[in-house]
Amino acid sequence: MPPSKLHRATVLHHRPAGRGFYRLVLQAPALASVSVPGQFVMLRVSENLDPLLARPFGISSIIAKRSLELYYRVVGRGTTLLTAVEKGSILSVTGPLGNGFPAPAKGATPLLIAGGSGFPPLLYFAAWYGKQSRLFAGSRDKECLPPMSAMKDFRSRVKAIHYATEDGSRGTCGFVTDSLGEYLSGQARDGRPVIYACGPHAMLAAVSRIAADHAVPCYVSLEERMACGLGVCMGCSVAMKAGGYKRVCKEGPVFDSREIEWGERLTLKVGG
Amino acid sequence: MATKTKKQPDLSVELAGIRLKNPVLTASGTFGYGEEYADIVDLNRLGGVIVKGISLKPINGNPPPRIWETPAGMLNAIGLENPGVDVFLRDKLPILRNYDTALIVNIFGYSLEEYVGVAERFDGVPGVSGLEVNISCPNVKAGGIVFGTNLKAAFELLSAVRKATKLPIIAKLSPNVTDITEFAKAARDAGCDGLSLINTLLGMAIDVRSRRPRLANCTGGLSGPAIRPVAVRMVWQAAKAVSLPIIGMGGIMTAEDALEFILAGASAVAVGTANFVNPRATVDVAEGIGAFLEQQGIGSVRELVGQVRTE
Repeated sequence: MPPSKLHRATVLHHRPAGRGFYRLVLQAPALASVSVPGQFVMLRVSENLDPLLARPFGISSIIAKRSLELYYRVVGRGTTLLTAVEKGSILSVTGPLGNGFPAPAKGATPLLIAGGSGFPPLLYFAAWYGKQSRLFAGSRDKECLPPMSAMKDFRSRVKAIHYATEDGSRGTCGFVTDSLGEYLSGQARDGRPVIYACGPHAMLAAVSRIAADHAVPCYVSLEERMACGLGVCMGCSVAMKAGGYKRVCKEGPVFDSREIEWGERLTLKVGG
Repeated sequence: MATKTKKQPDLSVELAGIRLKNPVLTASGTFGYGEEYADIVDLNRLGGVIVKGISLKPINGNPPPRIWETPAGMLNAIGLENPGVDVFLRDKLPILRNYDTALIVNIFGYSLEEYVGVAERFDGVPGVSGLEVNISCPNVKAGGIVFGTNLKAAFELLSAVRKATKLPIIAKLSPNVTDITEFAKAARDAGCDGLSLINTLLGMAIDVRSRRPRLANCTGGLSGPAIRPVAVRMVWQAAKAVSLPIIGMGGIMTAEDALEFILAGASAVAVGTANFVNPRATVDVAEGIGAFLEQQGIGSVRELVGQVRTE
């Protein structure tokens, strides 16, 4: 049998990271050594039966080939319970799961579009392909931007950072998609941009539209509720333009944005 | 670990003419077509695999959101998404044949003719031990539960499938009925060789802020440990009503959970939602049953079937 995806991971670090985020570092060498940017893990927040299901988390960094770093924001019962997990605890982790981002072609300029708490897979991407990358980080206000430690890592990994906040408290006032549109229309645009985006569905839909308008390749990392992460429950399926559905956990989470049927949600408010 | 002189307990069971090396199967829809778990679980160690439901034609399933977690359980409305019988026979079955485990194919349709059509396709197909006939999916309007909650329709459908195949057929019953024993009897009278119960309980969850149902399908099937007591009760009732062998399922997470079903009257069990939570759950349950028998000095798991003490 091939190496198992099931791991017992030791919590090496688990603390609030600021701006409502927690940073969790798990030692799981067999997982860490084979993962690629864009992949995720399923993490059980406890061994109890309620909440029942494991939660998906995008990997934000691999540390010393032995540990994986995760960032999460408290959004519900699962993540609330997760905050109580102490350093030294053992957690059940399944992974790495899903497909990573396609590597950018030589000479391409990756544009990383991070909305809300969607930055972790892009931070991992930046560790591999960051040197020529530009990060566009957007949120409601500066308090909702990625936490300081993540921004510090971004700064050391990418060429430039563009901030956009809806209230103007940091960077450009407006949506991250506005900044992206301006950049792609502007003089400062680098040659051969390719977009990698992760964030709220409405933002991804808008990014996808801008990419199409500018004929720029665009890869999106989707988040959906999932039960298994293994391609079995079919709970995380998303509609495809060509008809039918694909599973975020198995065929994704990274998709070419042209594949996705963005549907009626396009008309919703576009947010960062 | 047992000492070498001590005899290992016998976990094998026979169910509807199908021999299983242990009583633990995978519940349909929670284990794909086996291959998805092949690098996590040694499929050779399972009593059998019941594959995700197969229909005559491919089915895309329901629009998302399709799942919602509930206390100690989850709602799903996948809509029986599957690649259809042709793709299953061509791509999925050859992989499953490589394993030394019983293979039960779950089938369904949107009409009696479709059920019969898909059942016929498996007659004489090597590697298929039996058919589980799903008359109980709560998430498809035209088929499934329509047959599973109407006695006459259930009887006619199962009788027609019976005539269409020589394979053992196991009727998967819906718990969304007033009296499960009537449906167990209808399945017996239609010539079924066994029963699977229970399928999911029909449920609903609502987002109070948006006032919208959590699932795009509005309602879905509830599974997981939350439904286990209901399932154990229904297995117990069905086992008293008919002598058909029963595959018990509904929220089994551990060997002890499985043993409840066996004591209630199930000859075998199926592990479902637990596969999502602990991908090794099936093997853990099988090993745990073995350990329990050894501890209790019971020679065979068959000795426990229906042995709940109600006097």
